[in-house]
Amino acid sequence: MQGRVFEIREFTLQDGPGVRTTVFFKGCPLRCAWCHNPEGQSFEVETLTKANGEKTVCGQDWSAEALAAELARNADIMAQSGGGITFSGGEPLAQADFLLELIPLLKARGLHLAVETSGYAPASDYEAVVSRLDFVYQDVKHQDAEAFQRWTGGDIGVVLRNIAWLRGSGVPFTFRVPVIPGVNDSAADRAAIAAFVGDDPVEYLPCNALAGAKYPLLGRTMRCR
Amino acid sequence: MTERIRSLLDRTFDKEQRKFRRDVDWKPLLERFVREGVSDEARARIGLEEMLKAETPAFMDGERIAFLRTVRQIPDLHSDAEMEARRAQGVAFGEKGVVFNLTADFGPTVRDGLDARLAEISSRLEQAKAENDAEGVEFLENAALSVNAVLDLADRYRAAAEEKGLSEIAATLAHVPRRGARTLHEALQSLRILHYAMWCEGEYHCGLGRIDQYLYPYYEADVRSGRLTDETALEEIEEFFIACNRDSDLYIGVQQGDNGQSVMLGGVTRDGRPAFNELSRLCLKACGELKLVDPKINLRVDKSTPLETYELGTELTAKGLGFPQYANDDVVIPALLRWGYELEDARDYSVAACWEFLVPGCGMDINNIDAVSFVGALDAALRAVADAPVASYEDVEKAFLAEVQRRADALVAKYDRVEILPGPFVSVISAGCIGRARDICKGAKYNNFGIHGTGIAVAVDSLASVRELVFEKHLVSLPELVKILDTDFAGRPDVLAAAKAAPKMGNADQRVDEIAKRVIGFWGHAFDGKRNGRGGVFRPGTGSAMYYIWHARDVPASADGRLRGEPFSANWAPSLDVPVKGPVSVVRSFTEPDLGLVCNGGPLTIEIHDSAFAMADGVKKVAHLVKFFVERGGHQMQINTINRETLLDAQEHPERHRHLIVRVWGWSGYFIELDKPFQDQIIKRVELNVA
Repeated sequence: MQGRVFEIREFTLQDGPGVRTTVFFKGCPLRCAWCHNPEGQSFEVETLTKANGEKTVCGQDWSAEALAAELARNADIMAQSGGGITFSGGEPLAQADFLLELIPLLKARGLHLAVETSGYAPASDYEAVVSRLDFVYQDVKHQDAEAFQRWTGGDIGVVLRNIAWLRGSGVPFTFRVPVIPGVNDSAADRAAIAAFVGDDPVEYLPCNALAGAKYPLLGRTMRCR
Repeated sequence: MTERIRSLLDRTFDKEQRKFRRDVDWKPLLERFVREGVSDEARARIGLEEMLKAETPAFMDGERIAFLRTVRQIPDLHSDAEMEARRAQGVAFGEKGVVFNLTADFGPTVRDGLDARLAEISSRLEQAKAENDAEGVEFLENAALSVNAVLDLADRYRAAAEEKGLSEIAATLAHVPRRGARTLHEALQSLRILHYAMWCEGEYHCGLGRIDQYLYPYYEADVRSGRLTDETALEEIEEFFIACNRDSDLYIGVQQGDNGQSVMLGGVTRDGRPAFNELSRLCLKACGELKLVDPKINLRVDKSTPLETYELGTELTAKGLGFPQYANDDVVIPALLRWGYELEDARDYSVAACWEFLVPGCGMDINNIDAVSFVGALDAALRAVADAPVASYEDVEKAFLAEVQRRADALVAKYDRVEILPGPFVSVISAGCIGRARDICKGAKYNNFGIHGTGIAVAVDSLASVRELVFEKHLVSLPELVKILDTDFAGRPDVLAAAKAAPKMGNADQRVDEIAKRVIGFWGHAFDGKRNGRGGVFRPGTGSAMYYIWHARDVPASADGRLRGEPFSANWAPSLDVPVKGPVSVVRSFTEPDLGLVCNGGPLTIEIHDSAFAMADGVKKVAHLVKFFVERGGHQMQINTINRETLLDAQEHPERHRHLIVRVWGWSGYFIELDKPFQDQIIKRVELNVA
């Protein structure tokens, strides 16, 4: 089967231990208003148009074997540094079946594997993929079900269920909290998130100042700034 | 850093030292030289004497290491007409003709003192007189006078210090540089004077060499005896480093900051033992605290270097200093052996100014005597074959390599008769000159010439593009392509787009990297068997120096899609505007060729966005990247940490970015002090870096 990817980025420094390559899967079931990778939302191949009219195609289909070979090009420095591959997106778990094909191919090359996920995936997909990985960056976006629905378009129950499973899974993880002004940065929101996180490892990520930069490429505007 | 150092640093940055300066008109001296037909040797000595006589002892408040330049101008020793006349007779000179790009043998004179050199000169003079060696006598007499001129100024400094109640400086100068240093403090004062005197003699790009080696005995003895702790030793080094930034705007260079005050740390000792020591560590720490462009730090590493040492280096990278520049012993030492350096000397290598490898004290190499423009060679080759029936891509590549060879041969012929103007004082503090009774300008142990190769990546990318466009996709014929290049791709956006889309170095793409392997393999042997007129060999390299701007002006557009007027990448680096997968692929591509063949120097230059260091482990990851480069057989590497927005803002509001440091071609300088073409090239370089 084929997986759809919109970017492969080398030497990503914020996506896990060691020297890593991050692969961004195209398509996401959520529509977070602050999303800084809007080109990762649609599952379709899209055309990006720069201000100067220059067009590029966004989205490429890969077989698991070909993608594994591409990602493993830097296996030597990854081994040297304890690094590996990080699956990001979009929502990588939205292509769980493809990941289940890809993961053993990368594991066979001795690579450390991590995922950055919203956790918005069917429980069976989440558990099947995550249980085969070395590390998880699990998003915590909001604790209020109504606000979660309003800002992401999703049902928070799906995420909470997967996080509950993750906490008991033994797979090492860190929570990542995007701190978005006007969305989840009120004292009450922050307190609720902190309470939920408890003693688990967490990184708070301030809103990316350039977050809106990619929207014009898609002829879209950002819902929140 | 201590309060005293902070204050010295701030005042040096505010250029307080400039208040002591004055202008001297040296024209009458030159007119006298010309009128009286004074010999080169005497001119050099008299120039130094007059220069030092014109200097006035000056002290900055709170300093403990003295000596400041107070006269802005160095005397010109030869008129333009005289130099022209010599050139007309077939004599070639490297740049200005004087001794430059050189690191003296500071260690022995810091250890023994100048009196010991005077004693050697005097006994050697007896011998020269007995042997009726007139040339030797002239050299030795001038050498002794030049030493006395330095000692005389040191004594005036001592007296002035005494008068001003600066008793510590006075006490130090009562001992050094006349006698051997006994402490790290005396050693640094002595070194400061010797280095200062070289610039006054007219030498430039004067490196400092392996200070962590030749100063280590003083550090060790001081720490052992309790005279110094690591904190107070750090303060000593920091003061010395600050001193390197006081007169540097008066030093000669193509751009402000291009002054060649290089330091080499780490590596191995002359007998092959690991040399990275506590003093190396303190030097790195001092640079990290001071954040100054001088001295420029180089760090020798090899496959056994622990990651922790790389991390000490990348901590400086993270601070945006543009150094250390790394050199790989595993590649450089064998390369130097192949060029005829003795093993102990090869292990003792440093860099001349930017990155040209040099053995301090015994190398009178001219490491940058000229350059071959690879883009120019390809342009000429394409024109030559465009009208001939060309059967295949291989014919084009062959014609290109033949043109590179033709240009290499032309340089061999051009530099058959190179002369260097004398430097009696630098000779005294270089190995073997007194023993030979000859000025270093007559030759030292090593007299090799270095030849840069500029725009190698642009040329290789262009070859890959020619192969794809002309011979694989048949988009254009060769004569058509030449016309398109001449008209800067006007009216052919399709060809430009195809050229830009062709394989490029930096993506670990075999289709282009294998061309680079052949090109470097060829270039590395282009001077085999050739000797220069001074008895040395020619050392090809991957450096560009300033030629990446200069050579780019001489050629039209190139087949890789570079438009007319756009600069080349500096040194050994991906072409500008090339989308690369990332720094790991860049390292992979650029370590594919056998870099031991092109070890004149010329680093892989990588730009990293400053946000890379936002996470605590960014330093470690970048350290892994350097280690990876070294383990893959890279020869030399430098990393720039910058932010494009900051650079653009600095062009607009220079006053807000006085401290912004960038790596230019082989040295770190203040961005706002560069000419605009050099600024613009750096901005272009960072447009496609790691986010």
